[in-house]
Amino acid sequence: MALQTQQVHGGGTRFRRTLLGVAVDALGWAALIVAVLLVLTPVAFMFIASFMPARDILKMPFSWWPDPIVFENFWHAIRGNDGRFIFPRALLNSVFVSGTIAATTVLFSTMAGYGLTKLRFRGASIVFLFILSTLMIPFETVMIPLYVVITNLGMQNSYAGLIVPFLLSAFGVFLMRQSLLSFPDELLDAARIDGASEPGIFFRIVIPNLWPVMAVLAILTFESQWDNLIWPLLVVQSAELRTMPLYVVTFMEEKSTNEGAMVAVAAISSIPMLIIFFTLSQYFIRGANVFSAGKE
Amino acid sequence: MARSSTRLTVGTRRALWGWAFVVPALAFFGLFAFYPIVNAFVLSLHRKNVLSLQPPRFVGFQNYADLWNSAQFWNSWKATGIFTVSTAVPLVLVSLLLATLIVSRLRLQRFFQMALYTPAVIPGVVAAAIWLMLLDPRGIANQWVNFVLGVSGVDHKWLASPDMVRLSTVLVYFWGKLGFFTIIFIAGLGGIPTSVKEAARVDGATGWQLYRYITLPLLKPTTLLVSIMAMIFCMRTFSTQYLFTQSGAPREPINVVTLGIYTTAVRDYQIGLASAMSIVLLVVMFVLAFLQFRVSRTQDG
Repeated sequence: MALQTQQVHGGGTRFRRTLLGVAVDALGWAALIVAVLLVLTPVAFMFIASFMPARDILKMPFSWWPDPIVFENFWHAIRGNDGRFIFPRALLNSVFVSGTIAATTVLFSTMAGYGLTKLRFRGASIVFLFILSTLMIPFETVMIPLYVVITNLGMQNSYAGLIVPFLLSAFGVFLMRQSLLSFPDELLDAARIDGASEPGIFFRIVIPNLWPVMAVLAILTFESQWDNLIWPLLVVQSAELRTMPLYVVTFMEEKSTNEGAMVAVAAISSIPMLIIFFTLSQYFIRGANVFSAGKE
Repeated sequence: MARSSTRLTVGTRRALWGWAFVVPALAFFGLFAFYPIVNAFVLSLHRKNVLSLQPPRFVGFQNYADLWNSAQFWNSWKATGIFTVSTAVPLVLVSLLLATLIVSRLRLQRFFQMALYTPAVIPGVVAAAIWLMLLDPRGIANQWVNFVLGVSGVDHKWLASPDMVRLSTVLVYFWGKLGFFTIIFIAGLGGIPTSVKEAARVDGATGWQLYRYITLPLLKPTTLLVSIMAMIFCMRTFSTQYLFTQSGAPREPINVVTLGIYTTAVRDYQIGLASAMSIVLLVVMFVLAFLQFRVSRTQDG
């Protein structure tokens, strides 16, 4: 009896679900497609507009096909208003600064994570708590005193000043510690019995086995530094030391910058991360999840 | 360490190596995270002008009192508060909706994730620069909104009227972070065991009932986490507001706390006052970060 009611009831919902289901499904597709189109509009605008003559960019209505297609915006962007080619230099600065920071963050975080989990020493949990507590300090709240520290160290307006405050991240230590917790001890012990030194074990066994997590951390770190405006704004004065975000800001403020050059600067600045994203997208998606859950 | 290593037990040697591996991190966090915090607090009790040669003068909690009485300070918290609420709430709701829609697709899941995430890899300053053009009186924003409203030639003053400027900064930020949170929700939805849903389905739950009474409650930890993260992210916003004010948008409606700290330190040279502002920001964010930590711990099980 109970079974029968359930079957009838189940049959009913299945029928309704098919009718309703098709409608809901179609609506879902429509919503997703509209969302994707809206989200990609600014990106499309940037790339299309960078091939237009500058005076067409803010023409009403906007033409989604550049006519004629020109490349002068890119030349103007690379040259700069003053012809000093600061922009390519700024891009290289950003690659250098973000790359160095990504490398040191990954190395030192992995080292700390390894020391905290596999070379247990008295006080390790206190050390970890100390590092973890700094995870809760957002950069914006320490930037002013940090600026005082960097100035006192004589690193103001230098590559060192751009890099040193970010050599390591608490998030990195946290992430590497979490992934090393599940690292098999047998592997390490076997190497120790074979007479390997601790640094030897670290470089020959730990690092080669951890590189997927290390890659996620490297990408997250690089991305956040590539985007960093506020710190370079504080420490950098010379044009030669400008990073890309700082260059974009200053270029925008220059009177002789036209829309064409501006949009070309934007497009060129976006391309490196877009390329990295499209080739390594699974790491970005894993990265977003790692970032949220603090585990993996 | 000069002693012959053979005299140390294996355990001691390993512990020493442990310290050696951790020391760089300890030194770094001591000097570049812990010390600045302490220093920020000390500075916040002093009056210090960068330009003057006089040493910092101890003023007790005068800077905090000044902040309490400063209309500009309250305005900056108002700006941050309005920005945070009006960005974080839609962010959480829309990313949850999109994630739900994406996981219910049998095809193109990957494509949708990547397409929605694309803005997140556009640098913040670049995003702000592009949006400044879209929101220009002659830009696409006016053209499209007018098309939808069926009017023509109306300027919605995206970068001129106070409320519209707020809305514009919200738009830029919302656009940039939507994909990030969508992906986190997708992972959260994927973490719900299918056996639970199957059981509910066998019991005759409809799709909507299933979602409302099974999926949403089980997704609660993720939702909480995303909400707090979105709030913390929004409170830290800087680039968009900085670029907008630099290009002539009215400052007051979008003079967020981070921008206030920067201006106080760099334009007004008031390091003590800026430090006091930083400490207030830290306390507020610490409470939020603590919540986030608690939530992620419970999620770990």
